[in-house]
Amino acid sequence: MVIAVDKMGDVAIAELPVEELDASNAGELKRDIAPLLEAHTKLVIDLRRLRFVDSSGLGAFISCLRKLNAKGGDLKLCGMQKPVRAVFELVRMHRIFDIYATREEAVRAFQGEKNAGVE
Amino acid sequence: MNHYGNPTIDSVSDAQDSICRHAKYSLGKAWRDLSSRDLFTAVALSVRDQMVDRFLETQERYQQEDPKRLYYLSIEFLIGQSLGSNLHNLRVRELYRQALCNLGADLKTIEESETDAALGNGGLGRLAACFLDSLATLEMPGYGYGINYEYGLFKQEIDNGYQREKPDNWLAQGTPWEIARPDEACLVPIYGRIEHGVDRKGVYNPMWMDWKVLIGIPYDMLIPGYGGRTVTFLRLYSARASRDFDMQIFNDGDYFKAVEQKISSETISKVLYPADAVVAGQELRLVQEYFLVACAVRDIVRRFQQTHGSFREFAAKVAIQLNDTHPALTVAELMRTLVDEKDLPWEEAWEITQASLGYTNHTLVPEALEKWPVPLLEAVLPRHLQIIHEINRRFLEQVAVAYPEDRERLKRVSLIEETAPKQVRMANLAIVGSHSINGVSAIHTGLIETSLVPDFYQLWPERFNNKTNGITQRRWLLQANPALADLIRTTIGDGWITDLPRLRALEKWATNADFQTEFRRIKRSNKERLAKVIRETSQVKADPDSLFDMQVKRIHAYKRQLLNVMHIIHEYLSLIEDNRQPAVPRTYVFAGKAAPGYWWAKQIIKLIHNVARVINNDSRASDWIKVAFIPDYRVSLAENIIPAADLSEQISTAGKEASGTSNMKFALNGALTIGTLDGANIEILEEVGEENIFIFGLRVDEVQALREKRLYRPYDEYHRNPLVKRVVEAFRSNLFCPREPDLFAWIYQNILDENDEHFHLADLCAYLETQEKTAETFNNTVAWTTKAILNMARIGKFSSDRTVAEYARAIWNIKKV
Repeated sequence: MVIAVDKMGDVAIAELPVEELDASNAGELKRDIAPLLEAHTKLVIDLRRLRFVDSSGLGAFISCLRKLNAKGGDLKLCGMQKPVRAVFELVRMHRIFDIYATREEAVRAFQGEKNAGVE
Repeated sequence: MNHYGNPTIDSVSDAQDSICRHAKYSLGKAWRDLSSRDLFTAVALSVRDQMVDRFLETQERYQQEDPKRLYYLSIEFLIGQSLGSNLHNLRVRELYRQALCNLGADLKTIEESETDAALGNGGLGRLAACFLDSLATLEMPGYGYGINYEYGLFKQEIDNGYQREKPDNWLAQGTPWEIARPDEACLVPIYGRIEHGVDRKGVYNPMWMDWKVLIGIPYDMLIPGYGGRTVTFLRLYSARASRDFDMQIFNDGDYFKAVEQKISSETISKVLYPADAVVAGQELRLVQEYFLVACAVRDIVRRFQQTHGSFREFAAKVAIQLNDTHPALTVAELMRTLVDEKDLPWEEAWEITQASLGYTNHTLVPEALEKWPVPLLEAVLPRHLQIIHEINRRFLEQVAVAYPEDRERLKRVSLIEETAPKQVRMANLAIVGSHSINGVSAIHTGLIETSLVPDFYQLWPERFNNKTNGITQRRWLLQANPALADLIRTTIGDGWITDLPRLRALEKWATNADFQTEFRRIKRSNKERLAKVIRETSQVKADPDSLFDMQVKRIHAYKRQLLNVMHIIHEYLSLIEDNRQPAVPRTYVFAGKAAPGYWWAKQIIKLIHNVARVINNDSRASDWIKVAFIPDYRVSLAENIIPAADLSEQISTAGKEASGTSNMKFALNGALTIGTLDGANIEILEEVGEENIFIFGLRVDEVQALREKRLYRPYDEYHRNPLVKRVVEAFRSNLFCPREPDLFAWIYQNILDENDEHFHLADLCAYLETQEKTAETFNNTVAWTTKAILNMARIGKFSSDRTVAEYARAIWNIKKV
């Protein structure tokens, strides 16, 4: 899975390149996103292309979140289509992720947290 | 053309054009190449066009007025055939008959060729179908939600007197009535585990992990009300695997495992469970119940959110009725949706859930209430089990405040039964989660309050109410008995089609000689038609002038087909041993299916066949007694049987039949009832008058007293009356099983040594005496006809229009739009 990465300040933004994330490719995501998790503490995953996710796909996102949290970092999600958002809500996972409409909002949220910390 | 671009059908030639257009463009066939199935499909599609137009108009009306809507959730909808009823309700049957006649085809033949949609076992499913007809006719915004079983109730074949079950693949050739809505498919998570974590604010957050996913594809069957102004729908869900194959397994090279998983997902809507009572412990059945509930709730919430922002309005706009406990998981699913997905506080979600839900009970004995083992529920629905535990915790706190120190009461009302393994009591869940709990006849509701769940009644008496069942006269008179419907129409007009109590106007015709003659002519013609069916299916020659004495319903111990057989044996032995001829020649007609695993019921079918073989082949009895079992009882067969009945057998052990509805159908078609004071028989007695019904046997309180005080001793009855003894001895002898020795000895044993659980002998003498009266009355043709007409005239209360109007007013709070 080729994951395109952008950077805005100290925040990395990864765009998920698939429309369906399930048992067939969740492992691939975990493998290919691992270097990003190593290199960064603030990561945004842009899900704008994603149309379907199952429990394996959700498991991959949780794994990313936990790895970042373990080293004091965080993961934010953005660009979710309605059916994908519905799956997150269905199993209460929308409560453990910070979810934003756009990548800009997600990045701003990271920056706001930093500012809040400074203040 | 109407404004949807469809040609409206106002004339015979419009109908002809429409049928021919569908034959050519929907089926892609030349007229000369059409099979009879094709012809049916072309006609049905033409009729469906009319319904689609009215359906869209109905939807538009609802969109403008935003009325409160009812969603009727039922694991069964016993629809039967649809073409005839749709034509009647759209009031275009004559037009289509003429159009087909011009095209060289016969509408009746086409109607009869339709495969029954047998998506139900019996009363509960047929009630749901009658309710949809009434909702649409009353122009109420109400919809049905069910499962699109690929295989309906099994087809019954008889082999040497034994029932054999054959699959009913009713969708094998597709059905023109269903409209697929894949764009409204919904995702249903199932299985998995709960991970107990915290959310970003540090608040407890149980997450549902590692679930599998099912997809529910809705198929809509349009239901027109009489007159066609309102067309509603029955939404049936088919289960599909989430994708064609589980790609992970496929990639691992295990192609067969992948296909197996796909098949396993789709098994969920594959087959209707053929039990008329509770299905215990079957995981697939639990998954079916959840699948229905999950799809329905998702759809209901989606529809609500299309036009409403705040869930505070939910209960003002949505009523959900649970047809028995099979959809009781709705309580947990709606709570899960509101709390987990919509972020509502528990208390607010609970208020909304209770205010939206109503529960109809169809059970009379506590042991028959549905329960699911906790470990099974935990494996299939881990989050729902958590929610059920939380509902229970809060509920028991409330009970403990109301009844301090009453620990036994807490145990009785708990949603969890403390057995090993623990079980979730679905009726308790439905009761706690609903603002209304109703029974289906006055006596049944009374028994719910006093015997079935008295603790709940004491807690919330205001929630309990009665809604006596009903039947739709459009199917059970207008369609099933067209000649009688015409006679009534020409005599008192057709107001009864939508207002059944208007049949009262027939009272003054009850003794009119011309009306009686015409009534008898129609009854005889119906009996001739049925005699032909009997000859073709059972090889029994029935005399249309004999008394047609009918018991058609599920074969079940409590319904006491055995008591009926005892009467037949008594009549036969009186004839051949005592040389006492019956007062009237009689044809005993049975029909009904036994649950495939119900040994007792299957043996009774065998008994009926053996008794029939001996008696029908005995020349001494041939002028007096005939016994016939018509195989494969179903809605379309009932439409042939019921109009031909003289006498309707409703002889269940008092306290066992919640309501019954065939009792209403028979009376509506001018049959007299012989029955016990059970279910709706009691209310039929009140309506038709005691002089027009044959009531016998123990009352509910008498049965209860005998049972509780252990006073019933079948041997006493056996010794007291030689006629009773002779009947019982017949089972021990090989009179009815000369080539199968001792085949029916178990009946002798069951009745005498195992204490006759259903009180056959306690009621036998009274039954025999009352049957004597039926025969005497039948011999007085004018008196019998008068009573039959009065039964018809006074049966108006039992229209499902009345039942639905009562639900609408008292429970659903929905109005005509």
